[in-house]
Amino acid sequence: MAATKMKIKKDKSGGHVVMVLVKHPMETGNRKDKKTGKKVPAHFVKTMVFTHNGTAVAQANLGPAVSKNPLTQILLTNSNSGDTVSVQWTDNQGKTGGTEATIK
Amino acid sequence: MKNILTAVLVAGAFVIGVPAANAISEAEIRKDIEEYQGYFLKRFPGVTLADYSDGVNALPQYAERRANWELLMEFPPYETEMDKAAEEWAKPFANGKIFDDCNLAAGNVYPVYDAATDDLRTLVGDINVCLKANGEKTIKNVKVGKMARLVAHYRAQFNGQPMAVDYSHAGAQKWYEKGRQFYWAKRGQLNFSCANCHVQNAGNKIRGDVLSPGLGHTSGFPVYRTKWAVAGKPWGTIHRRYGGCNKQVRAKPFKAQGAEYKALELYEAVMNTGVPLKVPSQRQ
Amino acid sequence: MKRRVFLKGSFAAGTIAVAATAGLLTPRRLLAASWPETAFGAKNESDAVKALFGDTPVVDSDAISIKAPLQAENGAVVPIKVWTSLSDAESIAIVVEKNPAPWATSVDIMPGAGGLYSTRIKMGQTSPVTCYVKAGGKVHKAAHVVKVTVGGCGG
Repeated sequence: MAATKMKIKKDKSGGHVVMVLVKHPMETGNRKDKKTGKKVPAHFVKTMVFTHNGTAVAQANLGPAVSKNPLTQILLTNSNSGDTVSVQWTDNQGKTGGTEATIK
Repeated sequence: MKNILTAVLVAGAFVIGVPAANAISEAEIRKDIEEYQGYFLKRFPGVTLADYSDGVNALPQYAERRANWELLMEFPPYETEMDKAAEEWAKPFANGKIFDDCNLAAGNVYPVYDAATDDLRTLVGDINVCLKANGEKTIKNVKVGKMARLVAHYRAQFNGQPMAVDYSHAGAQKWYEKGRQFYWAKRGQLNFSCANCHVQNAGNKIRGDVLSPGLGHTSGFPVYRTKWAVAGKPWGTIHRRYGGCNKQVRAKPFKAQGAEYKALELYEAVMNTGVPLKVPSQRQ
Repeated sequence: MKRRVFLKGSFAAGTIAVAATAGLLTPRRLLAASWPETAFGAKNESDAVKALFGDTPVVDSDAISIKAPLQAENGAVVPIKVWTSLSDAESIAIVVEKNPAPWATSVDIMPGAGGLYSTRIKMGQTSPVTCYVKAGGKVHKAAHVVKVTVGGCGG
């Protein structure tokens, strides 16, 4: 099961909207575990780098105030069918993930 | 609505400790459906039968709420879960068989009356029957997680199909009547019936939330709720919700997949005849 | 001049090698490697803004549109979509005044990407949500108040 999912939709502007859903707890570090009573350590996605045909075009910076299972959308302005779009994310615990897709 | 209410209140008086007196007929059930649906279509003009699949988000006075929901639906939060569900559904059992090899009814016709056992078959029940028949462990928690995902995956394949529960058998009609009584009977310390909230007060606010119309119930379950997601158990089958609702009126909840909730599910499903399936639902 | 790419344990070495040779890893603007640590640590909006933009003048703008609910269905998942018609938008930041840590998220925009950013944030209470867009040497802002109530029902 993929922890990162990408969808690409054509935008009225001519480019494409890239939507990425990452399965991630986005813990703030303030929540107490009901069973142990201890605080669940902060665990959240920090950076998401979007690349288009190998070139980085955007970097989203996230904090724990972003909802669990964050959905992030950006817009590609110079995109065409057949192009490759990828995203790579890193979280505060050093874990990483990512995915890529081809524009239909 | 008054006719049904009166009939049920009268019938209710017979039921306590005594089996129901008059058998309900197919014609009477058809009339119930007409009255029930007619009530909502009149109360919320402009909202079509199909629109009710969207629950509170279909109500025109909550366009704001719908906008919020539409933003979420651009990429539904349940998507990765549904991918997982598809994998779980396709995974072969130890004996090589898969869920699709089992005898499952169409997603839009549950609950199904089984004359041989005089019982109602729900999709949840059938999934566990399938697992057991193939030597697999049955799923214990039938309200959340894996079971809800499997139900969602299977039902979603019938999206767009109208709810079409078969109530032609006398046995089904008896179950229907039990469900109807349950729906209209007051319960709990707060002394509310399902109808008080979802018929009489449909579309009204209850604290910060909105009461959904009864029309549309069952066409969207299982539900993926933001509120439940925050607590770690995002999925809920309809019996999970029934339990929650009963607790909220301070009534003791009944067991998921027990007779009471199966009967209630049948009643609601019949009231929703014609409403297209739209599974899963993304809700607050 | 090649610029180092600060991606922690991400791309396979092969991809980077090919991309580097082809000169594809040299965006006009430096890949914003730094995650806004100071902005994240700010306990109030003005400190967050200062951390993000220093002393750059901040002006109100009607070239920023914010699509967000007037009343959040649930404060844990509030969808926010920001769009700006300002050309040359370099970054968009979303700040929630009443959150204990106002800076929620931001995006650094490089050539090839447009002025759109959409996300879902947590809001502790009713608060203005202000979107700051850095473009053309100035910081432009627009705000949208989102009401947050505790959901009533939901066993």
